[in-house]
Amino acid sequence: MTDAVNTDRWIRWLNLVQLVLAGVIIMTPTVWMVLSSFKPSFEVTAYPPTLIFTPTLDNYVELTKTTPFLSYALNSLIVTVGSTALGLLFGIPAAFAVSWTRISWPAILTLAARMAPGTLFLLPWYVMFRQVGMIGSYTALILSHAVITLPIVIWVLLPSFDAIPRSVFEAAQVDGCSVTRILWRIALPLVASGIAVSAILAFVFSWNYFLFALVLSNGDTKTLIAAAFNFIGEGSTQWGALMAAATLIALPPLVLAALVQRWLVSGLTLGAVKG
Amino acid sequence: MSDTAATLTQDRQKLEMAALSAPAVIFTIAMIAFPVVYTIWLGFQTFSSTGKQTFAGLANYTKLMSDVEFWHGLWITIALFVLSLVLQLVFGVWLALVLFHAKRLPGIVRSLFISPFMMPPVVAGMMWLVILDPSLGAANYILQSLGLPPSDWLASPTWVIPTVALIDSWQWTPYVALIVLGGLQSLPPSVYEAAQIDGASAFKTFQRITLPLLLPTIVTAAILRSVDLLRFFDIIYITTQGGPGNASNTLNIYGFRVGFEFFNIGYASALMLTLTAIVFGAVLAFNRLRGAVAW
Repeated sequence: MTDAVNTDRWIRWLNLVQLVLAGVIIMTPTVWMVLSSFKPSFEVTAYPPTLIFTPTLDNYVELTKTTPFLSYALNSLIVTVGSTALGLLFGIPAAFAVSWTRISWPAILTLAARMAPGTLFLLPWYVMFRQVGMIGSYTALILSHAVITLPIVIWVLLPSFDAIPRSVFEAAQVDGCSVTRILWRIALPLVASGIAVSAILAFVFSWNYFLFALVLSNGDTKTLIAAAFNFIGEGSTQWGALMAAATLIALPPLVLAALVQRWLVSGLTLGAVKG
Repeated sequence: MSDTAATLTQDRQKLEMAALSAPAVIFTIAMIAFPVVYTIWLGFQTFSSTGKQTFAGLANYTKLMSDVEFWHGLWITIALFVLSLVLQLVFGVWLALVLFHAKRLPGIVRSLFISPFMMPPVVAGMMWLVILDPSLGAANYILQSLGLPPSDWLASPTWVIPTVALIDSWQWTPYVALIVLGGLQSLPPSVYEAAQIDGASAFKTFQRITLPLLLPTIVTAAILRSVDLLRFFDIIYITTQGGPGNASNTLNIYGFRVGFEFFNIGYASALMLTLTAIVFGAVLAFNRLRGAVAW
């Protein structure tokens, strides 16, 4: 009996060691990035690398002084919020209709679009947006990023709508409620948390998206991600500012993801796995 | 209620439902379906240096067949895909088992585990660029401290693809792990109890029971990762832009450069359509596999 207890304790200890090991591998690069962003410029490129240093905000100050970081951040915010709002506006009613009618092709259509390489649409978009003089406009960027947000909203919300008992809707129908009214007054409040999760995921993936803004933005509308090249600069002397930029760009998605981590798995697999 | 009135409300309801889906459907057709048709058409065109457009039939596709860069890009894409997928599935299953046996995971630990794939891939590229710097990076310092030879990592034509696979695996292994963990948690506990009573060892239980039951979940994870891996772009574009030389020039990077750096729109369209066919082919193949391992 004591043998079994000992083995059990040993296994649990072994598992903890592996868990810590995985945690260290996962966290070290990020911690290194954040540490480097607070290092004085002469220590960022010190070799051997240093762990003990006097933290400074110099890199952040330099970043905002030498690059239009804040206006890039504002561009990112406009494009991300705009595309998330558009995704919700189109996605919520579509998810509701797909869940109700069980006619799933609109949902599959948006997902298939998401699976194709972005460059496939970027080529014709570029040609088309150029013809109407929309290259570099927020509208073009928001529309392109809504291609990312729409399937996220639909697929994250589908299970939430599916979970509402049909009898709830049927009762409302008997009372003479129109479908639109049922969606607004009855279904929406019931899937509020699902909407929050879908909005946050849509925000994160729109914020993180690189390819479209690379081509469709101009100097004035460049998003943070598309401007990342500007921060890399030439040579390795700018590492401090580069790591400060990387830290700031990663901050919004990381904070938002931490808020909804509990509900992330089923959302991230677009319903493929019930988490 | 009379029959006609019932069908009338049913018709109205159908109409209302269609109206609810309409914005999403129209948006997708306008932004995706129409442009894809346009790309297909562009794939049959050639553009002269003055921008004059001529119908070229299959010329872009025959060019593809004899384009050394295309075959190189295909090889790089497949190598990166296989290497990354194997790394992420193996370590993802391992990490899922570790997390599964940890029983209780505080929210902060979960947040830390999801942080790699919630950050922009571009940021992951920036940060690893600094860590893997051949002369001043922390990675080589660690290697040398352990008495191992330093590597040129992203600057080495030989090692750039394994290095990119490592960076992507650092980002997405926790994602695979969370999917597999979901699969583990949904397995009926009675299965393990039966195995325990039979006195099966932990390894045998895993090999004979857990792994076969997990296969559908693992294939699902493989599908989700394949879609991203076959059109690999962000990390490579931010770190090497396909280099050194053309050592990390995946099909997606190559197609992007042909289209937006050389402005060869016709040929780029043919390239991107080919890559799209490869992605959907892989998804369909994996879907078949998932059907075969379902229980």
